[in-house]
Amino acid sequence: MSLLEARNLTRLFGGLAAVNHVDLSVDEGEIVGLIGPNGAGKTTCFNLLSGFLRPTLGSIVLAGEDITGLRPHQIASRGLIRTFQLTTLFQEMTALENVLLGLHLHSDKGPRRVLFGRRAFPADEIARGREVLEFTGLVSHADQLTRNLPHGHQRVLGIAMALAARPRLLMLDEPVTGMNLDESGRVMELVKTIRGRGTTILLVEHNMRAVMGTCERIVVLNFGQKLAEGTPAEVSTSPDVIQAYLGTGVNHA
Amino acid sequence: MHRRLGVLLGLVVLAVLALLLPQFGGDYYVHIFALVFTNVILAASLRPSLTCGQLNIGHSAFMSIGAYTSALLAKNLAVPFEISLLGGALLATAVGWAIGYPSLRLRGVYFAMVTVAFVEVIRLIAQLWVPLTRGMSGLSGIPKPSVLGMTLSTRTGQYYLALVLMLATLLVLWKLEHSRLGLIWRSIGMADHLAQSLGVNIARHKLLAFMLGCFFAGIAGGFYAHFIRFLFPPEFGFLMATNILVYNYVGGRGHFVGPIVGAVFLSLLSEPFRGSPYETIFFSIAMLLTILFLPGGLITLPRKLAELRWWRTASAPTPSPAA
Repeated sequence: MSLLEARNLTRLFGGLAAVNHVDLSVDEGEIVGLIGPNGAGKTTCFNLLSGFLRPTLGSIVLAGEDITGLRPHQIASRGLIRTFQLTTLFQEMTALENVLLGLHLHSDKGPRRVLFGRRAFPADEIARGREVLEFTGLVSHADQLTRNLPHGHQRVLGIAMALAARPRLLMLDEPVTGMNLDESGRVMELVKTIRGRGTTILLVEHNMRAVMGTCERIVVLNFGQKLAEGTPAEVSTSPDVIQAYLGTGVNHA
Repeated sequence: MHRRLGVLLGLVVLAVLALLLPQFGGDYYVHIFALVFTNVILAASLRPSLTCGQLNIGHSAFMSIGAYTSALLAKNLAVPFEISLLGGALLATAVGWAIGYPSLRLRGVYFAMVTVAFVEVIRLIAQLWVPLTRGMSGLSGIPKPSVLGMTLSTRTGQYYLALVLMLATLLVLWKLEHSRLGLIWRSIGMADHLAQSLGVNIARHKLLAFMLGCFFAGIAGGFYAHFIRFLFPPEFGFLMATNILVYNYVGGRGHFVGPIVGAVFLSLLSEPFRGSPYETIFFSIAMLLTILFLPGGLITLPRKLAELRWWRTASAPTPSPAA
């Protein structure tokens, strides 16, 4: 059964169709990759699905519920959690505080807690936060300010926050950009482990190698349209895809 | 543990000083400090909204609403002080809701412009609604504050009232800032997109923080009205609103005590210029100096000095081990 079902998704920016009649579905338990050359509409697609942009046309259904046009926090509360490209984090907070914010949807915000609680955060929320940091290998940096963490750790922290929100569908926007081979390998292992725990994953990535080794199904976008869809092997041998990525050889002309 | 003890000791000393002030200070100091406490309430109540990244340059408007409402309720309808004070604060909160609901989705300078316009609107209403507010003649004959039917007729009694109101305000605001709400406010100020993606309803939390500020500004206004017992519309204008903002920046944005330190320091230091044109110049210079030399505000001064001292000793020529 498909967890996410986007039909005829379209977004116009003036006269430009950044995303043009795209159908996209993600089944429960899958890892799906969304790839394409620069400007193909991957991030726009992401923003549409997570509610940061409204689609001009089309509908999005999450677990049987129509979420088209809902606001980002409403979509998040229905279990679709996304990360951002690069290091969009709460830089002036500690790593643990970042993850505690990730727990927002599952935290006690009642007036009694807020006004009369003896501690800022109940012990079980702290424990859950540390557990997520443990899982992502950041627990030794829990009390460090985020902006002092190395780039690789910051990217992982972004994923940790999203995990704390307990997503049904986790959408990762270029999680390994700017990482070396070793680091990106570790992040991809982490992604597989997360899937192993029952979270469905949709991944936008520029780095072909990372996607090919991780995803079961790949959707290729080009100029806002779906160019190809299939297993990594099918996609990587598709002449359309090779042409989109590498261009047409001079000889063909 | 050492630090906690130091903080506790400092608080005790401050509390004793505040309690004893009427004993060894004259009526003049009692009067000044009651006004300082009002400024502390105003400065601290702006902090939640500022933490959310909302630049509110119209906070004095809500003080004005609280002041006029409480004064008119007490004067015209003989409502007891406690209730008129609360009534003023609640009306300020309600107006805060009406202003904040549509405008809080604006960011940065656009929201700031709305608040600037609003403070002028409130000033003009107070100025032009003569039958109710007496306009530019000023509203006088406001009864003195009373608690449980007992009129606080002495300056000392009113001073203690201001102290209690300030402490209660600070306690509530401190508690909220050090709860999950404080974390949410900071998250909205730092990266509102990310907060949204984690399920934070940023519109609601910005509005809540804003209304919280309006409530306590209303309390400050209510006390002010019954303490000074004369209200004059231009007093609550743009100038006072910027001063409240300056308290926050000069004191420091990074910690809860920032606006408190800023309000106390600047209100005392600017006292000789109060009401004169030099007041504006004084506040401008204070703001400028802070931005240039202490961008983190006065609260970062001890750390800066310690760093300086460390740097001096570290860079001093060390005697060579051979000598």
